[in-house]
Amino acid sequence: MTGVVVPRRERHPVGVVATFVITYRVFLRQIVTRSRLVALGVLGGLVILVGWAVGVSGPTTKHPEPLTRGVDLTINLGLTVVVPVVALVFAAGVLGDAREDGTLVYLWLRPLRRWPLALGAYFSALTVIAPLTIIPVVVSAALIDNSSDLVVAALLASAVAVVGYTGLFVLLGTLLRRSIVWGLAYIIIWEDIASGLGRVAARLSIRGYAGSVLTDQTGVVVDSFDLSRSWGIIVPLVVAVVAVALTSLRLDRVDVA
Amino acid sequence: MVQAINVSKIFGDVVAVADVSFSIGPGVTALLGPNGAGKSTLFRMLCGLTPPSRGQVAILGSDARHDREVRGRIGLVGQEEGLFDRLSARRFVEIAAATHGMVDPARVAAEVLAEVEIDPDDPKPVGAYSKGMRQRVKVATGLVNDPDVLVLDEPLAGLDPVQRRRMITLFHRLGDEGRCVLVSSHVLDEVARIGSRVLVIAQGRLTAAGDYRALRNMMDDRPHRIRLLVDNPRALAARLIAGGTAMAVRVEGESVVADTLDVDRFGRSVAPLARDAGVRLREVVPLDDDLESVFRYLVERR
Repeated sequence: MTGVVVPRRERHPVGVVATFVITYRVFLRQIVTRSRLVALGVLGGLVILVGWAVGVSGPTTKHPEPLTRGVDLTINLGLTVVVPVVALVFAAGVLGDAREDGTLVYLWLRPLRRWPLALGAYFSALTVIAPLTIIPVVVSAALIDNSSDLVVAALLASAVAVVGYTGLFVLLGTLLRRSIVWGLAYIIIWEDIASGLGRVAARLSIRGYAGSVLTDQTGVVVDSFDLSRSWGIIVPLVVAVVAVALTSLRLDRVDVA
Repeated sequence: MVQAINVSKIFGDVVAVADVSFSIGPGVTALLGPNGAGKSTLFRMLCGLTPPSRGQVAILGSDARHDREVRGRIGLVGQEEGLFDRLSARRFVEIAAATHGMVDPARVAAEVLAEVEIDPDDPKPVGAYSKGMRQRVKVATGLVNDPDVLVLDEPLAGLDPVQRRRMITLFHRLGDEGRCVLVSSHVLDEVARIGSRVLVIAQGRLTAAGDYRALRNMMDDRPHRIRLLVDNPRALAARLIAGGTAMAVRVEGESVVADTLDVDRFGRSVAPLARDAGVRLREVVPLDDDLESVFRYLVERR
């Protein structure tokens, strides 16, 4: 075969920052769909509605103080349902959906490092999940008790939970097909039921650490959630970093459609 | 440029590709095989998308799965339908160019889209495109990095005849530029136009490799079938049998259809035989010197 010499187009190596920026934008565009936003926005609206309803209902025998009612609702609705479920839908979908629908190949078969790609996926999910979860949880807490302690505690706790869950579920999306089903099973069995049953189980769940931040900030005592605020913040951060690192390694080994 | 050494891929109990070896250089090579023969799996292994269960694959001397630099020199047009559906064609191809580190990705995107005859200024999202247009956008993404190796899995699917012809011309031009262009298809007439150099795969095994006309000549155990258009078919048929030039003949109207194992001897003898019999020979047409015959023989053994 005789080759005709054809001038090739100019190119340069793709740096880490460029990889991060490109993948962040692409994934952000891919995961934000109207149906997801509406469904999960409604869920956030419901949380605010529940917060308002609890706020205007007045004291109960179990929770005479607004502060304890606010902590209870933030843990059992915000940190147990809203944050993990919204995080699961967007974070597991960011790489999981790309893998399932075959679009991952457009980023995978490129001269790009894997870790900024994983980081781009993580932050794109975080960008969507954070406002969809933190705002309703904080507003709901403020509607029950507008003391600065509860509002700051709800803000910190939900932010910590978002950081941890997002990392965990981005990784899950690269590990398993039907990651939503597996993620829901994990949320219900481990994060909800098991973590409330004892200290050791709570220390192995994101909710345990986020709940500890909430109780530490407000001074409300809740069994199992008795870690210091520092641990409550540091451990979910470490979980997120390790999860992104593992996602990056997984991307090196994954079968791409 | 592309090499497979004893490559197998096994999914559970299913052997998708079995002990395949080949080596191909610049130019256009067609990978031919029926649906489910293992073509896409083989391509995925070559590009590093899935590792072989056994054996080795190399593109430009390296495994694309672990070599970032090599991944930048490959263009893949896969069979999967997925695109970033909410982006315009230009934005989609621009991202492909940016991820390859091309200088001025927007200009590169416009150039390659024009090459596949897609309007770069069309604001419609690719999700709204027809199958043929999506296919051409995929080809454009495969071209953005000026690949040394271009792997195209059923790239003509969904294209109309005019687009197919243009796309095949494009593949030939890329091959002539010294690139290795590997194109799969299960459609015989497409492959015949894509290139004479073929790899034939059936049930996961490589059954033949090379120029398909040469492959046909290698099938010594199968007679060649030739149609001779003459003014006196019965007379020529008798001469062909009597002289041992043909092993079987059939008269069809003004034609003689002859079977022979030695096509070279047949070619040398037929004109003198016709002259001696006083028969006017108007046309000689090989009936099974086409890819379909080769394919049927290699794949179906009939």
